[in-house]
Amino acid sequence: MSVYRRNNVQVRGSGARTMVFGHGFGCDQHMWRYVAPAFEEEFRTVLFDQVGTGGSDIASYDSVKYADLSGYADDLVEICQELQLHEAIFVGHSVGAMIGVLASVKAPDLFQKLVLIGPSPRYIDDGDYAGGFSSDQIDELLEFLGNNHMGWAETIAPAIMGNADRPELGEELKDSFCRLDPVIARDFARVTFTSDNRTDLQKVAAPTLILQCSDDFVASEAVGAYVHQQIPTSTLVQLRATGHCPNLSAPAEVIEAIRAYV
Amino acid sequence: MSDAASQDSTQKEFEDLFENAPCGYLTMLPNGRILRANAQLAAWMGYSAEQITSRRLHDLLTVGTRLFYETNFAPQLSLGDTCEEMSLDLKTASGEIMAVSASARVRKTSDGQAAVIRIALFKSAERRRYERQLVDARAKILEQARATQGLLANERETAELREQFIAVLGHDLRNPLAAVSGGIRLLRRDMSAERRDKLYGLLESSIARMASLIDNVLDFARGRLGAGIPLDLKTDVMLGSLLDQVVAELRLNYLDRKIESQFDLPGPIRCDPTRMSQLVSNLLGNALTHGAETEAVRIHANVSDEILVIWIANGGEPIPAAAIERLFHPFFRGEVRSSQQGLGLGLHIASEIAKAHGGTLEVASTKEETRFTFRMPIAAEN
Repeated sequence: MSVYRRNNVQVRGSGARTMVFGHGFGCDQHMWRYVAPAFEEEFRTVLFDQVGTGGSDIASYDSVKYADLSGYADDLVEICQELQLHEAIFVGHSVGAMIGVLASVKAPDLFQKLVLIGPSPRYIDDGDYAGGFSSDQIDELLEFLGNNHMGWAETIAPAIMGNADRPELGEELKDSFCRLDPVIARDFARVTFTSDNRTDLQKVAAPTLILQCSDDFVASEAVGAYVHQQIPTSTLVQLRATGHCPNLSAPAEVIEAIRAYV
Repeated sequence: MSDAASQDSTQKEFEDLFENAPCGYLTMLPNGRILRANAQLAAWMGYSAEQITSRRLHDLLTVGTRLFYETNFAPQLSLGDTCEEMSLDLKTASGEIMAVSASARVRKTSDGQAAVIRIALFKSAERRRYERQLVDARAKILEQARATQGLLANERETAELREQFIAVLGHDLRNPLAAVSGGIRLLRRDMSAERRDKLYGLLESSIARMASLIDNVLDFARGRLGAGIPLDLKTDVMLGSLLDQVVAELRLNYLDRKIESQFDLPGPIRCDPTRMSQLVSNLLGNALTHGAETEAVRIHANVSDEILVIWIANGGEPIPAAAIERLFHPFFRGEVRSSQQGLGLGLHIASEIAKAHGGTLEVASTKEETRFTFRMPIAAEN
């Protein structure tokens, strides 16, 4: 299984430099639909789906490998190595940002700069650290996903397996965004929302831009400030955008902020 | 009716169609701010229409659902124009959780920007239950499949042992049969009466050996076929003298071995005397075959608290823990060897006899000794 197929890697644009986009929990590379095209003239852009989401190869999912974010970071490193990337720009959203952080620690030559949109090294409160959620609240999410897994179950599998006799499944997939395999989504949610990568932040050597929204329920401004404080080489930019997905709700502002930094 | 009045009536009808629909219905801004919600949703949520209007959709969700809303539902609405059958958990004013299925349409302005989002919410408690049942059923089937795999592996192993058993049985029957056949050939010749008598004795013992093998196989088959070993219960068995007899028989077969017996059985006991002898004989035979030759085999029987206890102990190497588990299984032999150890049914039959008597047969094996203990409750009137 090539990493291209496994992670549904899409390379577009042209330019001497490369920009790699990593999506977070709950969606797929469509997340970058309003942002990535803006860089295609200057950069080669690389988009991919984390295994278990979008057009990734579901059969490649391995619950042991992906039992923590390190498995996802290994995938990212492999994608970059396959593309022979050095000194690329990494743009990651939400947990995708943390996966990029881990990849840059594993292979410091890959990324020249990191752009982290709504990053959080830990979602559950811990002493003085305010992650924003109690472990009960995270359990509530995981239980919700567990109880609802039939609601959006199996819709992706037949389409992925290429049912030639049911082309409407392919159509449905093409027109759908943020499709998740139910079982993997629950695992990914658990791995994401119970992760604690606070100690990895200090190991980041690359200059890092943190883009923080206000009123972000998933990754609060306090968490953004914590990430900024922990990564010595970081710059924190507060966006006017609100919510957790400025790459969707305020793409122009995000593009502008990235462009100014890289 | 005037045009104005007709228009007014139509307007009212549409109002009612919206407010009292069989589903919750709302419109909101792309940032989730609710512009309008119908009366049905307000009633479900326990809010007035005004109270709902001042909120955002994600304020109506449980924290767990809201995380999912922010990371999946909201991005889907930003990327597409529609969203179907999304499961959400709403939290009502009184704190109760209401499961709904939501479908949404994005209404865009002429320049393609999302203007408002309309969401219809259907109660889906039943559907959730059904989904939960499906998930549980699938988990159960997977578990059953695993269990079946285990049983199958077990059966395969038994089948293999059974084949070995048949080979051993054939082998064990062939030897005495050959002896009988040879004996008959000899009998055709002239020989002294004394020699002839000795030959009859040998023939009888060969036939007895074959009969005993066949009895074992029949007992095994009875036990396996579910009926259990049949008992011929007698109420007045003087077990003490019965055990003395069994011990005496085995002493004759193992002249160089020491058997220490201690029986404290004053009254008669209700049991099948033949089967009880068979049980004790099997256990004693087992102890004499496998125990250290230098050590005595001990047999002890008494009644205590209305429980008959018979134990047989021998010294020597302890039985490995792995073997203990399978000790009472049919065909079990420490290792497959031809005939020396019999058919590997002795302990299995002993435990079946114990079971038929409503008793138990247990084994404990240490460096000091290996001890088989038979326990059987005896009724008060006995």
